[in-house]
Amino acid sequence: MFKNQREALADANSDRLAPRDAWAALSVRRIVALFWDTRLSGICLVLALLCLWEASARFEIVQSLNWPPFSSVTVALYDGLATGDLESVIGSTLWCTLRGYAIGAAIGVVLGFAVALSRPIRLTVEPTIEILRTIPATAVIPPLIFIFGLNDPLKLFVIAFAVVFPIALNTISGVASIDSIYLQVARTFGVSRARTLYRVVFPAALPFIMAGLRTSLGLALVVTVVSEMITGTGGVGYYLVQMQFALRAAEMYAALILLTAVAYLLNRIFVAWETRVIHWARTREAAWSEQ
Amino acid sequence: MRDLINRAQNAVPGVAFIAILLSLLEAAARLGLVDRSFIPTPSDVAARTVEIIASGKVVEPLLATTLLLFVGYAIGCLSAVVLGILMGNYRRLYNFFEPLTELLRPIPKAALLPVLILFLGLGPSMKVTIVALAAFFPVLINTVQGVRAVDPVLTDMARTFGHSGVAVLWRILLPASAPYIFSGMRISLGISLVVVIIAEMVSGSGGLGDVILHGQRMFLVVDSYAWLVVVAALGFGLNSLFRWAERRTTYWVSPATQ
Amino acid sequence: MERAVKTSPRSMNGEALSLGGITKIFTSRHNELLAVQSVDLAVQAGEFLAIVGPSGCGKSTLLQIIAGLISPSAGKVLLGNEDVTGQPAHMVYLFQQYSKSLLPWQTVEQNVKFSFSHRMHLSRTATRERCREYLDMVGLADFRDHYPWQLSGGMQQRVAIARALAAEPRVLLLDEPFSSIDALTRLDLHALLLDLWTQKRFTAVLVTHDVDEAVFLADRIAVLSRRPGIILEIIETGMPRPRSPLETHENPKFLAVRHQLLSHLLAKPESVDARPH
Repeated sequence: MFKNQREALADANSDRLAPRDAWAALSVRRIVALFWDTRLSGICLVLALLCLWEASARFEIVQSLNWPPFSSVTVALYDGLATGDLESVIGSTLWCTLRGYAIGAAIGVVLGFAVALSRPIRLTVEPTIEILRTIPATAVIPPLIFIFGLNDPLKLFVIAFAVVFPIALNTISGVASIDSIYLQVARTFGVSRARTLYRVVFPAALPFIMAGLRTSLGLALVVTVVSEMITGTGGVGYYLVQMQFALRAAEMYAALILLTAVAYLLNRIFVAWETRVIHWARTREAAWSEQ
Repeated sequence: MRDLINRAQNAVPGVAFIAILLSLLEAAARLGLVDRSFIPTPSDVAARTVEIIASGKVVEPLLATTLLLFVGYAIGCLSAVVLGILMGNYRRLYNFFEPLTELLRPIPKAALLPVLILFLGLGPSMKVTIVALAAFFPVLINTVQGVRAVDPVLTDMARTFGHSGVAVLWRILLPASAPYIFSGMRISLGISLVVVIIAEMVSGSGGLGDVILHGQRMFLVVDSYAWLVVVAALGFGLNSLFRWAERRTTYWVSPATQ
Repeated sequence: MERAVKTSPRSMNGEALSLGGITKIFTSRHNELLAVQSVDLAVQAGEFLAIVGPSGCGKSTLLQIIAGLISPSAGKVLLGNEDVTGQPAHMVYLFQQYSKSLLPWQTVEQNVKFSFSHRMHLSRTATRERCREYLDMVGLADFRDHYPWQLSGGMQQRVAIARALAAEPRVLLLDEPFSSIDALTRLDLHALLLDLWTQKRFTAVLVTHDVDEAVFLADRIAVLSRRPGIILEIIETGMPRPRSPLETHENPKFLAVRHQLLSHLLAKPESVDARPH
């Protein structure tokens, strides 16, 4: 802190030095500060690593079919996009994810409210939820193949299953966290129970619900990819496994990069929507995204 | 005594619900309403599960999965906590690593499976690596968030008593961000379990995931469900263990800050 | 009553602490804030000095500069003969937010231990003895295995005091320590503080906006102006010790000093030129 203070005062006095020296002194110090005090150092790290990747592959420091230079990966990415292969693959995954997510989210929110607001429902359903929510969604897939067969309904069910419990739990804790003073205010003014639910309970629980929805989005995508790997029914998961078997590393990395970009975008879009919906909440959670 | 009776009374609806569901399923299967070759009766599944446990067949896959999960999870969480505390406390370090972690974080870790298989093969090192990667990021983010949330009064206080920088990290920041760290570790536990199972399924080299998939491929319907029960028990057990550990370490958290 | 000064180091003038030309400018991206301007202050060893001023006048900033928590933009702080940079070993700072300064995951006894066990290498028994001794002094001997959140605000502040004194400081800096405590408990804590000060003979610098508190506790009072803070006047309280919560407040000297203080603090804001330098 003290050093910055000295700098601040020195800057203020710098017009006392000869103009040329002053400019030079300011520049060097400013650049160093700019580098370490902003994300620039991190961005340089990423670029340096990419260069390292390229160099190590091109100069065969790492000799392996699995280690294509970054430039080959970009070429594969371009090719894949140009031929439309990558789009259809990722599109199929995305479509599956969104449908399964929507189903699971809707059920989760409704379930969450039901459990949070009604004691009989909570007592009846809570033990089942406690047992089911710890089952990893991937383990559920093979047994369910017997019931659903190898197609869309299977994947949709599994994605919904994976997503419904985290969302329900977030909804429950959202309702539980409502400051009872809001409810007392509503009661004092004689607001009906239905109206209270709509006007007080739902908006107050919304930040928690949104947080649950946000984290479950990433989960839905992972579960989709996983189910594609197991069932071999198209989509990115299956594509990655195919490329792995065919030892086509560059295509594999390209698909991975595209998938990551899509996941990132999905998250950003969600966060933007979330901030608009609960602009009044201004919680720190809204600025951080978790997976 | 009163309390016990109360608790028993409260448990009735939940238990009854489960019992009724299972009985309905049992009846439907026995009466032929659903095809028994695809949907086994709960009693068959239960019997097979007991057989698996009693015969000791459960030991090898269960142990394999649990061990891999544990090692990968521990490595992932530990490194995330260390890096997280440093990143949360030193702004420059944060600036240096954040773009990289932000770039790597959105990658669905299960999608890294084919890549890791190409590099590390199908053995335990691949599985441990992918579990560690999956566990790393949620814990990292939560740790950084937790460190940032520590009231500066605590660190100031420690400094006024002459504690060194390292002491502040170890004796103040780490315990103070424990609630956040545990929250991240809970998320990581779920993800790690999912990832270890799929890793075993894809690599086919032992463990619970492999056995379940094998059951499906060999059309051993009852087996596949029975092993699912085992996995569910593992998940439930780990979760309960986690909650116990969390309660014991964060006993001091006041409801307002939770 | 002759005051024997125990452990305070003496500079050439018998001062425990001296501030020379302390200025602090807070800079942010958009503007600069001059918090404190050219403050000179000498604190005698073993005395009780209060710094009083309106809200935002920079008195807490000044105290934090003395403690080494903030670096001054200009000027020096001398503890005895040495420059204060960073956290000097014999100075302890008592926080305004006492409850947030206690470690919630440790018991009361462990909290007290925190201030000294890393610097004084005592055996486990000796450490425990020392903790209990200081907890006893503040009347919390029975609560040593409790956690801070199980105690009331006044009790938490007493733990903070015990912790501070367990480090055997030469100088104790108090940052509005009783401002968020109810009035009756506050009187109790005043008496406790004076008692401990008489016993342990440290130098005390108290920052407060409570005029009665300052006049009751202190030997001298430094009056700080509105921001940017400069010292307007230093008033001697000149009342005999020991002081009593019931009688001292009715002492005519008390009322006179109080009047003098309030007339400074309640005055309308003056232009900068009119201020005495």
